Amino acid sequence: MIFAKYKDQVEELLSRYPVKRSALLPLLYIAQKEEGYVSESAMKEIGKILGLTPPQVYETVTFYTMFHLKPIGKFHLQVCRSLMCALVGSDDLVGWIHRRLGISPGQTTNDKMFTLSAVECLGSCGTGPMMQVNDDYFEQLNEEKVGRILDDLKTHGTCPLKSGPFMFPEPVR
Amino acid sequence: MKILLKNMEQPGYTGSLKEYEQTGGYQALRRVVGGMEPNDLIDMVKASGLRGRGGAGFPTGVKWGFIPKDHPGPRYLCCNADESEPGTFKDRQLMERDPHQVLEGIGISCYAIGAQIAYIYIRGEFRLGFQILEKAIQEARQAGYVGKNVLGSGVTIDIYVHAGAGAYICGEETALLESLEGKRGKPRTKPPFPATHGLYQKPTVVNNVETLANLPHIVNRGAEWFSSIGSPPKSTGTRIFCLSGHIKKPGNYEVPMGTTFRELIDEHGGGMRSEKPLKAFIPGGASAPFLTPDHLDVKMDFEDVAKAGSMLGSGGVTVMEEGTSMVWAALRLMEFFNHESCGKCTPCREGSSWIVQILQRIRAGRGRMQDLETLSTICGNIGGRTVCAFGDAEIAPVLSTLQHWRHEYEALIREAEAAHPPKSEIPVLSL
Amino acid sequence: MAVNEAQEMVEVTIDGITTQVPKGTLVIEAARRVGVMIPHFCYHPKLAPDANCRMCLVEIEKMPKLQTSCSMPVAPGMVVRSSVPNVKQARQSVLELILANHPLDCPVCDQGGRCDLQDLSHQYTPTTSSFHELKRVFPKRYFGPLIETQMNRCVTCMRCVRYCDEVMDVKALAASQRGTLTEIVAFGGHELDCEYCGGCVQICPVGALVSRLSMYEYRPWMLKRAETICGYCGDGCHITIQTKNNELIEVNSTFGAGRNNGDLCARGYFGLHASEHPDRLHTPKLRRDGEWVDVPWEEALERVANEFIRIKAAHGPDAIGGLITARCTNEDLYVFQKFMRLVVGTNQLDSSARYGQINAVQALRRVQGTHSWSVAYEDILSADAILLVGTNITETNPITGLKVKEAVKKNGAQLITLEALTSAVGPISNIALLASHHLPVTPDQFGAAVIGLVKAVMEEGMVDSELSSRSPEYVQAISEQIGRVAWSEIEGRTGLPPTSFKESARAFEKADRGVILVGQGVLRAPGGYGITVNLLDLLLLTGKLSRLGCGLAPLSEENNDQGAIEMGAVSEFLPGARDLNDTQGRKELASVWGQEVPAGNGRSLTQMFEDAKSGKLKAMLIVGENPVASLPPGEEVEQALGNLEFLACQELFLTETALLAHVVLPACSYAEKDGTFTNTEGHVQAVRKAIESLGESRPDWEIFSALSVGMGHPIEYENVKAIGKEIRSVIPGARTLGPSPVPPLPDVEQVNHYVQSGFREDLVSRYQLSERGGHGADSLILAVTQSLYHSGKFSTRAKGLLRVQDKGVLSMNPGDAERLGVEEGGGVKLSNAQEQIETPVTLRDRVPEGVIFFPEHFDEKIRRLFRMTLDPQTAVPYYKLTRVKVEKA
Ligand SMILES: Cc1cc2nc3c(=O)[nH]c(=O)nc-3n(C[C@H](O)[C@H](O)[C@H](O)COP(=O)(O)O)c2cc1C
Ligand code: SF4
Ligand code: FES
Repeated sequence: MIFAKYKDQVEELLSRYPVKRSALLPLLYIAQKEEGYVSESAMKEIGKILGLTPPQVYETVTFYTMFHLKPIGKFHLQVCRSLMCALVGSDDLVGWIHRRLGISPGQTTNDKMFTLSAVECLGSCGTGPMMQVNDDYFEQLNEEKVGRILDDLKTHGTCPLKSGPFMFPEPVR
Repeated sequence: MKILLKNMEQPGYTGSLKEYEQTGGYQALRRVVGGMEPNDLIDMVKASGLRGRGGAGFPTGVKWGFIPKDHPGPRYLCCNADESEPGTFKDRQLMERDPHQVLEGIGISCYAIGAQIAYIYIRGEFRLGFQILEKAIQEARQAGYVGKNVLGSGVTIDIYVHAGAGAYICGEETALLESLEGKRGKPRTKPPFPATHGLYQKPTVVNNVETLANLPHIVNRGAEWFSSIGSPPKSTGTRIFCLSGHIKKPGNYEVPMGTTFRELIDEHGGGMRSEKPLKAFIPGGASAPFLTPDHLDVKMDFEDVAKAGSMLGSGGVTVMEEGTSMVWAALRLMEFFNHESCGKCTPCREGSSWIVQILQRIRAGRGRMQDLETLSTICGNIGGRTVCAFGDAEIAPVLSTLQHWRHEYEALIREAEAAHPPKSEIPVLSL
Repeated sequence: MAVNEAQEMVEVTIDGITTQVPKGTLVIEAARRVGVMIPHFCYHPKLAPDANCRMCLVEIEKMPKLQTSCSMPVAPGMVVRSSVPNVKQARQSVLELILANHPLDCPVCDQGGRCDLQDLSHQYTPTTSSFHELKRVFPKRYFGPLIETQMNRCVTCMRCVRYCDEVMDVKALAASQRGTLTEIVAFGGHELDCEYCGGCVQICPVGALVSRLSMYEYRPWMLKRAETICGYCGDGCHITIQTKNNELIEVNSTFGAGRNNGDLCARGYFGLHASEHPDRLHTPKLRRDGEWVDVPWEEALERVANEFIRIKAAHGPDAIGGLITARCTNEDLYVFQKFMRLVVGTNQLDSSARYGQINAVQALRRVQGTHSWSVAYEDILSADAILLVGTNITETNPITGLKVKEAVKKNGAQLITLEALTSAVGPISNIALLASHHLPVTPDQFGAAVIGLVKAVMEEGMVDSELSSRSPEYVQAISEQIGRVAWSEIEGRTGLPPTSFKESARAFEKADRGVILVGQGVLRAPGGYGITVNLLDLLLLTGKLSRLGCGLAPLSEENNDQGAIEMGAVSEFLPGARDLNDTQGRKELASVWGQEVPAGNGRSLTQMFEDAKSGKLKAMLIVGENPVASLPPGEEVEQALGNLEFLACQELFLTETALLAHVVLPACSYAEKDGTFTNTEGHVQAVRKAIESLGESRPDWEIFSALSVGMGHPIEYENVKAIGKEIRSVIPGARTLGPSPVPPLPDVEQVNHYVQSGFREDLVSRYQLSERGGHGADSLILAVTQSLYHSGKFSTRAKGLLRVQDKGVLSMNPGDAERLGVEEGGGVKLSNAQEQIETPVTLRDRVPEGVIFFPEHFDEKIRRLFRMTLDPQTAVPYYKLTRVKVEKA
């Protein structure tokens, strides 16, 4: 039972919508955060909360790329591969990561630390090549920066190079 | 001429409620809830000439006017913050750097259409933006700009942020509504339109972030002021163009509509990043047909870009330098569209994967001359025949590159045919 | 009957033909009306338009793009063109796009020969394809025991998913992934767990979903079809049985067909093979020195005839009794009672309608003077409010359940559910989830809850004013009586506060059209007759009894319960459900039969068993009934029948009862018969032979005829038609076959009589809370109930249904299970004064706490826990409810 301890949060979420099913994506996020992926028992539990059958939950889950139905690495490296980033070197970025971690898109390192995915446009086309790691964006990447990010993540679990509130180009002071 | 980016370009501006108020923030909301007739507000926005910044460019005031006046039940506003169109990254900046400007716009829009609840549908990947908005809403709620009794007016305006979860199609307004209802993000067949049968089948307006951010300024400074900016009468105001690709200074630039592409690219973007000249550019996000150097002097307004055979779309301008393979570029975008097709309707679902396979084959040196015919035919069978505008969007890169750079396709194919001479075709009985 | 509101008409022109159609009609339907067939895959009249396949594109004047005719409503003056070149090109292109990823495995596809994709491809002949790429291939997955998916053939029209949601309200199918990878699966790609209605298979326009029962068995053009009626439940669904070389292959029902409008349930769709079970009796059997021997028909018939003649001579005709199943056709039932009355010369006959349906008919006759519904399915669909009382509708009468679902989901009816059902989502649909007012009660308290509703009506000023002024003494008497029942007592019984009853009663009262459906939970439970009369009081008091579109609709369980009563195959009625002692009726019958109806009262089935036990009854003819296995063993039916000098059975199988017989005569199943069934609405429908009789089996009526000849008193008919003709001549107003029933209206005189004095005799007992059965802290209510996957015991011979449910398992609320420390699949010990047994348990959210259910189709052991009580007015035996102590085994 995942949601027993999130009772208040679930209630608050449900209060936002006149129709319960609307809280489906928000609840899936809670489940994924809790377990690292969306488990079948979580889907069933969510179904009970929202009055949906498990297949109804399942069909929604599988439509969206951000939900994982199986456990993945601790850090999910998502490299944007769409045209705009590709023009400025996202394929190289995939290569740099491969060189350091030995994984290609779709693969996870043996220590279950990193999973690499090539994803479509993440909405930072002006600051490519870029990748998203879990919740954070890392932009304007080069090989050296990538090295530092991967090291930091491994050792500290976070990296100061992550983007703050977006503004590009920064105004000249 | 900066309107939307003005605040945030001030040094040290963090977008907190206090700072926003100091720049005159929330005065517009105060004014409308303080006694403006919703109809007058709608007329004002109509008169301003404001058109949607999400892609379709539909006049905002007119859209509001479609909401039935006598509908007894609830109505909704959805702020489209899905920003997933490749080449576009302006809404992200508006939300993360000056969230209250967006919230104030939402409040004004809610008031105009009589909505008591607004949902900001933000793409799932924008976690930071999500948090910033949540915090800003909390601030605004405490200050009385959001909630049950906005500024003591008795008007209720609740705003909630709702995160998507990775699906470009959820930017399409009816797919957005489906997704917000907790379903698969499949666009709905229209009619009926959201104005009468939107979220939970109730009257609903869907507006883009940038569209909404313009509203406080229109209310503060008047429709006339706004409509004098840009390229009146049809393309008024400024737009934030997102420059990307082989450009020296990529980024978001707010310029009046009607500025030429040349000015945007050369003056704001600092020209091409290397010595190589510009070969092609996309004027309005991945869904807009590619244009050529011949089109650099086209003015960035809705009409002129349409006349040049493309569209202003979401304002994402991507430039490509000489040496970029147009077949490759078309393929990359086509792979995007194939990945993002929701799969609801036959032409888009089957057509996109078919086109991708042909392009991949041509790129891999296995093309055949008749493939080009096939590509045009498939595109022709998708365009105008799908449930939503995604179908028209996905064929844009293929058709426009075929139109302007057909020789590149042909060159690849000729090489392929030389390397692997076509075997005699299996005879097909033609009836 | 549904009343047609005056419809606004719109003029449209389609392919040059101008026509008027009702406003709101879809272009594709308007076109069909003028004979223009627009090709489509995703469109289906039952489903909300989804417009995903794009096959139905047409040109509409003044519109820039081609439009989907399946989603576009007509507009005044609209001009539609469907046969212009660009429309044709669009259709060809959609076909080419679909075929791109289609495996073209028509040679091994079960749909081949009746496939929309094949037919349309043939019609639009895209004879060449420019697709030279790789096809997307889905790996094969196991979908379920009865249905297989072939996802490579799928055209992604979503009809299956939409049907499962919109019509069935089951929501068991998921469209997973997106784009070309969209695939129909069950949850998580696991095995399908659902109602198994087969609707997804039926509605698939291609061969992407196929029945595993008939896979690779046939090509459609090899099949012979028979349009007939399902032999399982009282809903009476139209089915098309398809056969090959006298073998049952599969069942279908088409959109628009029958009272079911093409929808079926698991029993109807997957249950047909019961008739061909290898255990079917093929020859007459005689018990000789304790051994069964096959004998020729002549010998068996002679033996039965001689025994009956002998016993009749020795002990009089009333020493012989007859019992018949309400699964037989009307013609069988009619000839049976005629045989018993005229040839044997006794009124000692009864049928399985005694188990509950007689309660309904007696109540209707008493209050409104009809012996069947005064409404029809159409009235359920157009009702503003529907009250369900103890129906367990999804399991017991699934198709009537669909009408309720449609009324709520499509037409916005208010639904009040007074059911032993928790409103929880599960693999089979839960009607309570659609309710605007759900009144959950334990299955022993339906009576108390109905009293609560009537009390709310009395106290909250909902009594029809016209009735109050016309019959003040009726209203006054009920008011007084019900005033003696305190709300606190009702709340104590039902667990529901007075407001629940008041709100529900108000919702029902204020509806213009209100229909009450009452089911087996009431009709087959103690006090069933009285509760049904009280529901008629509720209709009367709210001014609805005689109003058009309003009425009481009791749900029959067996396929011909209603027919059995109308044919006079019960102890108290002559044909036409006239009283046995109705002199006029007897006279009319005598004039057709050429012989007087015998004097003397009939005896009901339980009374006959008593007489057998005491030795008064010497012989019985039991047709298709198996009381030994149905009634609790404590009632000693087995001993009673063993006591008989002579027992003859007409049967499909050697059942527990048949095993006690001296002679067993092999009878035909409904699949081998012609005739008619009368469904729960009272609609008479044609049953048609799908296969030739198995072995030497014969239709039941023919056997009665043959016996009559053997007994020297021939009643013979040329065929079933001749029987039908006679039925119509003896039953005034016997309903003839037709597309939809015209229900009888309540008889004004009878209603007047009821409100003047007829209500009085049992008023006190009807409006009293019944005795509470003994119970301790650890006792639960055990009820044997209907399962969706079975009907009686007959269906337990159907191989398809056995794949879904092959044994009885006790279902229990997870909360109770937790308290008892029992887990899914674990065992419990049930005990009471009678017995102690063990059974495995399954946990189901829909089962209310404090109640456990066991499917009545299985496990004879469980019946040992039950005892029987008799309804004092209708002699209905009640034996489906008891209290037991439950412990973890
Ligand atoms: C495939 C597709 C994707 C879209 N994506 C977005 C998007 O990410 N953000 C957005 O604001 N509008 C998007 N739109 C446009 C919306 O459908 C809609 O027109 C817009 O949100 C209306 O707001 P506006 O009138 O303020 O522009 C998209 C449209 C299509 C067809
Ligand atoms: S069992 Fe009843 S509901 Fe099911 S198909 Fe047969 S008649 Fe219809
Ligand atoms: S039938 Fe109209 S789109 Fe499928």
